[in-house]
Amino acid sequence: MKKFSLVEFSVEHPKLIVVLSVIVTLIFMTQLPKMKTDTNPKNMLPATSDVRVWNDEVDKTFALYEDMIVVGVQNEKGIVNAETLAKIKKITDEIMRIKGVASRDVNSFPTITNVTAEKGTLRVAPLMTDTPKTDAELKKFQTNLFDNPLFINRIISKDGKTTAIYVPLEKGSNGKEIADKIREILKKEKGNEKYYIAGDPVARDTFGAEMFKLMAIFAPIAGMVMFFVRYLMFKDLFLSITLMMDAMMSIVWSMGLLIALGFPIHIMSSMAPVFLMAIATDSMHIFNEFYFRYKEKGNKKVAIIETMRAVGRPVRYTALATAAGFGVLLFMSIIPVKVFGGLVAFGTVTLRILSFSFIPAMFMFVKESHLDRASQGEDITAGIGSKLLRALAGAGTHKAGNTVVIGLILFAISIVGISKIVVNNNMVEWFKENSDVRVADREINKALGGTSLGYVVAISESNDEYIKTPEAMRYIEGLQRHIEKLHVVGKTFSVADYVKRINHVLHDDPKYNTVPDTKEAVGQYLFLFSMSAKPSDLDNVVDPSFKRANIWVQLKTWDAGAMEEVIKAADEYKKQNPLPLKLKPAGIAYFNLVWNHEVLWDMVKGFVLALIVVFVILVFNFRSFKWAAVSYVPLVFTILLIYGVIGFSGKRFDMPISVLSCLSLGMAVDFAIHFVSRLKQRLAESQEPLADALLWTAARPGKGVMRNAVLFAAAFSVMMLAPLTPYITVGAFIVSMMLLSAILTIVYLPALIVLMKNWLFKGGLR
Amino acid sequence: MRYLIILFVMLLPIEALAISAEDVMKKSQAAFHYQGKDFKARVMMKLISKGGSERTRELTMLRKNFGEAGGDQKFFIYFFQPADVKDMTFMVYKYPAKDDDRWLFVPAINMVRRIAAQDKTSSFVGSDFTYEDVSGRDIQDDVHAIVKEEKLGGKDCYVVKSTPKAGDVDYSYKLSWIDKANYLPLKEEYYDRKGELYKVFTADEIKNVKGFPTVTKRTMKNLQSGHRTEVTYTKTDYNIGIEDGLFSERFLKQPPKKWIE
Repeated sequence: MKKFSLVEFSVEHPKLIVVLSVIVTLIFMTQLPKMKTDTNPKNMLPATSDVRVWNDEVDKTFALYEDMIVVGVQNEKGIVNAETLAKIKKITDEIMRIKGVASRDVNSFPTITNVTAEKGTLRVAPLMTDTPKTDAELKKFQTNLFDNPLFINRIISKDGKTTAIYVPLEKGSNGKEIADKIREILKKEKGNEKYYIAGDPVARDTFGAEMFKLMAIFAPIAGMVMFFVRYLMFKDLFLSITLMMDAMMSIVWSMGLLIALGFPIHIMSSMAPVFLMAIATDSMHIFNEFYFRYKEKGNKKVAIIETMRAVGRPVRYTALATAAGFGVLLFMSIIPVKVFGGLVAFGTVTLRILSFSFIPAMFMFVKESHLDRASQGEDITAGIGSKLLRALAGAGTHKAGNTVVIGLILFAISIVGISKIVVNNNMVEWFKENSDVRVADREINKALGGTSLGYVVAISESNDEYIKTPEAMRYIEGLQRHIEKLHVVGKTFSVADYVKRINHVLHDDPKYNTVPDTKEAVGQYLFLFSMSAKPSDLDNVVDPSFKRANIWVQLKTWDAGAMEEVIKAADEYKKQNPLPLKLKPAGIAYFNLVWNHEVLWDMVKGFVLALIVVFVILVFNFRSFKWAAVSYVPLVFTILLIYGVIGFSGKRFDMPISVLSCLSLGMAVDFAIHFVSRLKQRLAESQEPLADALLWTAARPGKGVMRNAVLFAAAFSVMMLAPLTPYITVGAFIVSMMLLSAILTIVYLPALIVLMKNWLFKGGLR
Repeated sequence: MRYLIILFVMLLPIEALAISAEDVMKKSQAAFHYQGKDFKARVMMKLISKGGSERTRELTMLRKNFGEAGGDQKFFIYFFQPADVKDMTFMVYKYPAKDDDRWLFVPAINMVRRIAAQDKTSSFVGSDFTYEDVSGRDIQDDVHAIVKEEKLGGKDCYVVKSTPKAGDVDYSYKLSWIDKANYLPLKEEYYDRKGELYKVFTADEIKNVKGFPTVTKRTMKNLQSGHRTEVTYTKTDYNIGIEDGLFSERFLKQPPKKWIE
């Protein structure tokens, strides 16, 4: 028993242990200033991943930008009036002067290329070269604007009340910083216009910035709440500080190690401190037992050693289970998922080492008079808490049948709920309903084609500029009409739209708003267009060798499922219309879809693997398959119930939820391990009947379980006040998970054990 | 002797200032865009993207001056490449201080169309050159100043800063290195509205054709998009006697072989 000697050693040399712990902590602390952060969820997939390589290739082929901000301008009285147009011109000019904005390709009234015919003259030029002022000019502008189908739903809403300024960003620009600068520009404008700023880079970089702020606020608040609740429970400041230090040290050690190894802090690993704080509360069982033992023995040293002997095994196994639950993530394929798993697993191991060294050592410094006072309340028959626990366990023990039937009903309902869960990650929905980001996204999506962007790339294998053929053009046109039938698609445009537009304008006859009949005509039209248009106009939709065409698909939602629908529709179209053109999706919407699949499913895989590993650990712990199966029930039940609720509430299985799944596993199993281990110990030590032993377990180690749960719930309920939904989710999830798994452990374990006692205790109880 | 040197040194800056920035630009315009009575060249343009992919434009350009340097000009352009625009022709009547007149013949539909030329910043046939880069910008549209004089590639140059009077172009100002010997621009730097350098023109080869120094190779590079255009002039000739009648709608549809080959 090596660990035992660690406890004894720590009790014998408490000062040495404390000094050593502090020194190690200080060493890790020196690493913290080197912290690098990476808030871009994109980097969860390595730059070498297929989707990123392909997207980069598409960006390069078609001179596209990875990131685009969409600025919406709305005027209830209509956009086309001298003042609003002047403002749009001014705002566009100023946005183009912001560093990091790809000014040459900003698309707005003053810059977007228009193709028109005026008095027999073909004109390829920006839509609004001069701001119209007179009524005649305004009228002409209005006609131009609504006459070009390329503009409708892209830069002007059908009702004429909303326009958009599309602001592409140079590689590496920070979306939030640029959005903030745009906000400053907009702030100066007075009048009836409303302004909205949306787009993936805004949501992503705003979230990244907010995330660290929130972690810096909420992690300490959660820590403080835990500290006070703990103080209320034990009425001893010194021990509260000890537990706090325990958690802090493990956080510093693991974050220090992560930083020292050169990993940047990703969104996922930024949640690790809060998780470790949560896992640290498991030491509660040591304190819980210590107070009981101290009250019984009255000798500090003896109480400590006996406590560790009693709870050592469950504490070790719970740590093992938690570490394993996170450790399996190391075998996943997504690097930040691995890092996160390794980080928390390391922190958990650290916590346990501290539990067997630092905590016992700290006990030695507590004045005995303090302990006397604090342990007064520890009586399993008297305290209100203990009484309540006995009652709960009593319900399970004495009405086992009913309890299990209720459980089965809840179980069935949960399964229905779970079947409704949608795996989806929508970053915009990480912001609250009425937040700037959400409102902007909603308003622009309502009025225009959409803030999310995907591409469908049509690829020909031949070398003869196949895209220029009328059949390829008509194919692309048909594909667009087919995709546009989806309600998530707000706008599509392609090279075919330019060809049709030029055909129409050259003949000055709407009848010609079609693809011409010869390849030469298509080639000459496009050449004519390129003679005056911005180079990017054509580059964005067709490659120089005319082997590939790029169809822009504006989506009205950032849901990953939207792009999936587009891909399905494209495949359908391809089947119905066989042509030697391959269709491949690309763009940020496609990236999000792949990200969704790879990262979230990786987490799901990890979760399932963790479930299995935890079960194996339980089998080893109890050296019994049966006991492992029984103690597995509260864990599985908790998870099912929570996911059932998630399914019914319509909340998606997104990244925060997926991360929490692993935590829930690691935590919920703890309670069962404590309960069953201590029950078996009790049965071995005393000669009580099973029912009494169950009640004792519920009241004594059960109190530790409950304290642990309440502590946790209290600390994390603070997070429900956060302004970003993932934090609210984390808070709500942890609160309900802890309370549920504690209650389920205390109610259902006794019920199951009573019902299955013949199976569990083969050949009688003893 | 000593006094002579002092006198020379004293005279030097005065002599340098003797020519105004506007005069430098006028002489440059004459040397670069108005040389000879008329002019012909086979122009090969390579449009090269950041990724290295190329598009080609091949054309014959004919130019005739009507009046002094800075005055009216007519251009006739016949396209050889890309292949599907062969036989396309393009004609420009250029007037100082007034929008150009442009016509385009689209052979696939056998139609001549007038094309509006209001926008000075638009790209010339999809290249990094604008129409203004090809045919020249009116001197009085900018405020010119000689910012310094320096050697570029061993040649003494005036460095002229030209700031547009109106915000009608993409750049906020342009620096031109004008060769003092022949007034050809050897380099131009375009600064965007953020004050950052974004486009660079270089004259890569200068040949003497019938006594006229002529830029026969040039490059325009867009530093922001990474796109560049390389232009080579061959079969360059001056004073070949192009008739006025060539610049008509009739010849747009049926360009005379002797001029375009």
